[in-house]
This record gives sequence, structure tokens and C-alpha cells, in this order.
Amino acid sequence: MEQHLMWNWPMIVYLFLAGLGAGALAVSGIVVLWGPAGEFRHRAALIARLGAFIGPLPVIIGTGLLIYELGRPFRALNLFTSNFWFLALNPSPMNWGSWFILLFCVFATVYALTFIPWRTLLGGERGERLEARSERWRAPMATICVPLAIAMAIYTAILLAAVPARPLWHTPVLWLLFTVSAISTGLSAIILVQRFMFRKPGAVRGAVRREDPAFRVTEYYLVSMKVLLIIAELVVIGLFFMFAHMTINSANFAVQTLLPGGEMATTFWVGVILVGLLMPAFIEGFYLLRTAVLGHEFEWPYVINVSAPIAILFGGLMLRYVIVVGGQITGPIGI
Amino acid sequence: MSDSSDSPVSRRKFLKTVSQGAAAVATAGVAGGAMHAAATKPAADAGKKNNKVQYGMLIDLRRCIGCQACTVACKAEADVPMGVSRSWVEYVEKGRYPNAGRSFLPRLCNHCSEPHCVRVCPTGATYERPQDGLIVIDQGVCIGCLYCAHACPYDMRFLNPVTRFADKCDMCIHRVSKGLVPSCVNTCQGRARIFGDVNDPNSEIHKLIARNPVSVIRETYGTQPNVYYIGLDTTDENTKKPGQYVRVTTNKANSPKRT
Ligand code: SF4
Ligand code: SF4
Repeated sequence: MEQHLMWNWPMIVYLFLAGLGAGALAVSGIVVLWGPAGEFRHRAALIARLGAFIGPLPVIIGTGLLIYELGRPFRALNLFTSNFWFLALNPSPMNWGSWFILLFCVFATVYALTFIPWRTLLGGERGERLEARSERWRAPMATICVPLAIAMAIYTAILLAAVPARPLWHTPVLWLLFTVSAISTGLSAIILVQRFMFRKPGAVRGAVRREDPAFRVTEYYLVSMKVLLIIAELVVIGLFFMFAHMTINSANFAVQTLLPGGEMATTFWVGVILVGLLMPAFIEGFYLLRTAVLGHEFEWPYVINVSAPIAILFGGLMLRYVIVVGGQITGPIGI
Repeated sequence: MSDSSDSPVSRRKFLKTVSQGAAAVATAGVAGGAMHAAATKPAADAGKKNNKVQYGMLIDLRRCIGCQACTVACKAEADVPMGVSRSWVEYVEKGRYPNAGRSFLPRLCNHCSEPHCVRVCPTGATYERPQDGLIVIDQGVCIGCLYCAHACPYDMRFLNPVTRFADKCDMCIHRVSKGLVPSCVNTCQGRARIFGDVNDPNSEIHKLIARNPVSVIRETYGTQPNVYYIGLDTTDENTKKPGQYVRVTTNKANSPKRT
């Protein structure tokens, strides 16, 4: 790349991780608030718990990475303190973002704490008390966390979309693309972790057993959701191109870098579209259809089982890479 | 830097608002004179707040010989590290032999009246100086996030590899606040660069802007630049016509292409 990149891997990884954490937290909160009851109760609780534990971690790691890259950790506090009232009245998207991150980290951590099995961990009266308190706090925390997580996912796109001088970023479709990708990667992370957990046939975790019919049914619905998200993402990518194509200016020019012959074309079509979207869609779609049409058990080899979510996570990272780098190697046309 | 970290923007902003209010009252008092001044304002200046000092530059490209003396003067004056540039002169080559031509486009921060860099800065480190309208970076506040560098439509900003803060042309505030002209203006061999207060009807730059067909670059971004050009050629490699030969050499250390 001949061009000097001002935002590089730390930013790319940060955008990816922030989206992933926000997506996982949103999925967890939604399951807590509107999740199924009855025989699926335990399964839903497990998904909610995984999402809650995954949620804050990537965001904290990603933010740490960014702050480390700035080189002066405590200077980053200037985002909040340098000119409080001025910034409150004239916030930049990065200000919004830093407040979101702060609130996200606090609330997501509190929310995750409500999922810790205090009773088995501490036992005795203290365990009981904390358990009861967790039960009471979980739903209100989820009510706060879901909008916060979605705001976080949207902000990662608005951060880029807010600058007119980067035509590839400055599109009204980017927030949708990043939000769908965030939820899809968050869900994939949850699915991946629980596939690790239930690797062995006959595995039992708490009240969830792999051999339960409820396990397969939930798995089936989760995977269907994932495939739907992939389709949604493909549609949004289509909209992204259409917007650029219909715009007779720099956006049209900038998007050429993603189209065949452009500098980022291979990374985009192979990394994002083929590996990150089409491959998992086909693999999972195949098993879904086999169950839906032929009535087979929803059961598949472990390697394929974990490779699909890994491919989606990889695709999410590549999407951020392509957008962040592609935006910087293109610019306004004319002078 | 005259404004250091101990004078927060909120106060600057406040003082600016107050001084503008006072200026507005004063203008109302001498409405006749002010109206006359407004009537002779050049079109390119329309819509600006005319009652304040706004330093700017006019570059007469007919007089520019592309010698890069300004580039060198800037490098020395501001102690700009290797590998990055605050000011540079682009070469634009066009046409085919024997009907070929080369023109020069000196580039520097436009000290815009509606600067995108200021809008996106999350710390308030980048701000407009109320006393002369120049856009500067407070190195005591900047965190080096480079959001401003993406927001600038002119690709003026970069990460200073020594300080690790955002950096750009500051119109030599250390010189102009002492009544001198910026170093590039001082050194210009063809006297192509004119520096001054574009809002002062008696200044040379104001008169030249009024009398000449001036233009600014990337006007559609709405940044209202304060660097004006006479004889600007807006040809770009991206906008060349079919069969046309155009080559732009930016001579900029950190980006050989215009972005
Ligand atoms: S040219 Fe760029 S850096 Fe300079 S004031 Fe305008 S937007 Fe800001
Ligand atoms: S790099 Fe410094 S001046 Fe630029 S936006 Fe960030 S804090 Fe503001």
C-alpha cells in the first residue's frame, strides 16, 4: 500500500471487537427480556449467560488496544475532561463513542455479574442473598444494556460515516451494515463458545444436556437466525453498492476500490463475501435444509460445526479492514 | 504556542462570543460604513462573518514557478520531521507533446471558516483562534487520535512522528502574531503569495480578492477556505477526460496521491 494509513490495525480490531461485544450483549439482553420459557428455559438462560460474559470483554480489550496505540494512556481522558461543557454542547462522534464505551463497560459488567452462579460459587447465606439480588437486577439491567449495545454498534459506523472527506465511509448505509455485522458476529461468538462447551456427545452443563430434543431445536433456530442475518448482511452490502453506484461523485469513485480490479477487491470478495458470508451460509443452509426438507436430525460434524462461526467472525474482521483501509486509500475526486 | 493547555476552549469560546457580540453592537452603531464595506465584498467571501479578523492567503498561480522554496522554508521554520509535510507544491502535467503544459498548485491548510477538523475533534484540541480566525492545534490537549486528519477534505493533517500529535500548517502563528508574514510568504521568489486579513477592506489581500477571479479548492465541501488562488486549474487524475493525459505529482512526503 503506497498510501500512508492513519488508522490501522488497532482501529480495525477495535471496531470489530466493539461490534462483537455489542452484538453478543444485545443478543443476551433480548433473550433475557423476550426469550422463550418452558422446556427451552435452561437453554435460553445459557445463551443469555454466554452473551453476558462475552459482551464486555472484547469492548474492554479493543478500547485498551486503542488507548495503548495512542501512546499516552492518561491523555485519553481528555476525551471526557479537557473541555467538559464545550464538548457536551459540541460533541464529536468520538465523544459520543467514548461515553457509550464508558457506560457500556459499566452496565455490561454489572449485567454480567448478575449471571455469576453465586449460589454454587459462595454457598451459604451470602450466596443466596447475591443470587436473589442477581435475579432481581437481571431484567432491568438487560433493559438498559440492549439499547446501549445497539447504540454502540451504530456508533462504530457513525464514527466513520461522519467525515464527508472519506467518501467510502460517508454513506447512510454504513450504520446498517455495521449493526447487522455486529449482531451476526456477536451471535456467532455465542454459538462458537457453546459448541466448544458441548463438544462431546452426551455433554451436560448445568440443566442443559446435549441429548435433549430441546437442545437440537434451539440449535436449529439459532442457526436459522444466523443464516437470516447473513442474508440481511448481503442485502445491506447490495444497498451499500447501490448507494455508491447511484451517487455521481466521489462515493462512486471510492467504491471502485472494492469492485473487481480495485485495490481492495480480492480482500473484499474473498475475505468478506466468500469466506465470511457465502461459505457459512451454504454450510449452515445445507444442514438446515436437510433437517427442514428431509427431516434429518439437526446434527453435523464438529469441524464444520465450529468452522462456520469462525468464518463469520473472520468475515466481520475483514469487513472492518476493507472499510477502514479502503476509506483511507480513496478520497474526494477533483481538487 | 500562545494558547496553552491552561486556557480551555470553553473560555476561549466564551470570550469569542462576547467579543463578537461587542463587535456586532459596534457595527450596528456605524451601520452606514459597514454596509459600504459589505457591498464591496467579493462574492467568494459571501456568507462569512465579516466583522472579525480573518487571516488568509492569496496565491497567484500565474506567478508561481514551482520552485518549492516555500516547502523548504516551511520545513525549516516549523521543524517538520522527515516523512511528513505541512506545505507542498503539486505539479499538474496535462496534454501531449507539443501541446503539453505544467501548472503548480501550492498547498497549505486553508484555515477554513467552517472547518470539519474542528467539528470532529473530540477533545477541543483543534480550535479557531478568536483573534485571527486561524485554526490551530493545542498540543497540550490533543490525544493524537487523528479523527481530524480524516475529516479534513484537503488531507492537510498528519501524525507528527516526533510528538505523536496531530500536526498541520499553523500559518506561522509565532510570526504572524508579531506582525510578520508566514515563512512561505516571506520566501516566495515570485511573490505569488499574499498574506493578510481578508476581512479588512484596506488590506492588499482584500483588494486583490475583490479585483481578481479567485477560487478556492474543493469548495463543495462547504468548509469556506481562506486560501484563495488566482488561475486555479482544478484538473485531477480522477476527473480527466477520455484520452487526456494528466499526471499529478503531489511532492508530499506522506502521500504521493491526492486523497
Ligand atoms: S484545511 Fe483542513 S485542517 Fe485546515 S482548517 Fe480546513 S479542514 Fe481544518
Ligand atoms: S488528533 Fe488531536 S486535534 Fe485531531 S481530532 Fe484527535 S484530539 Fe483533536
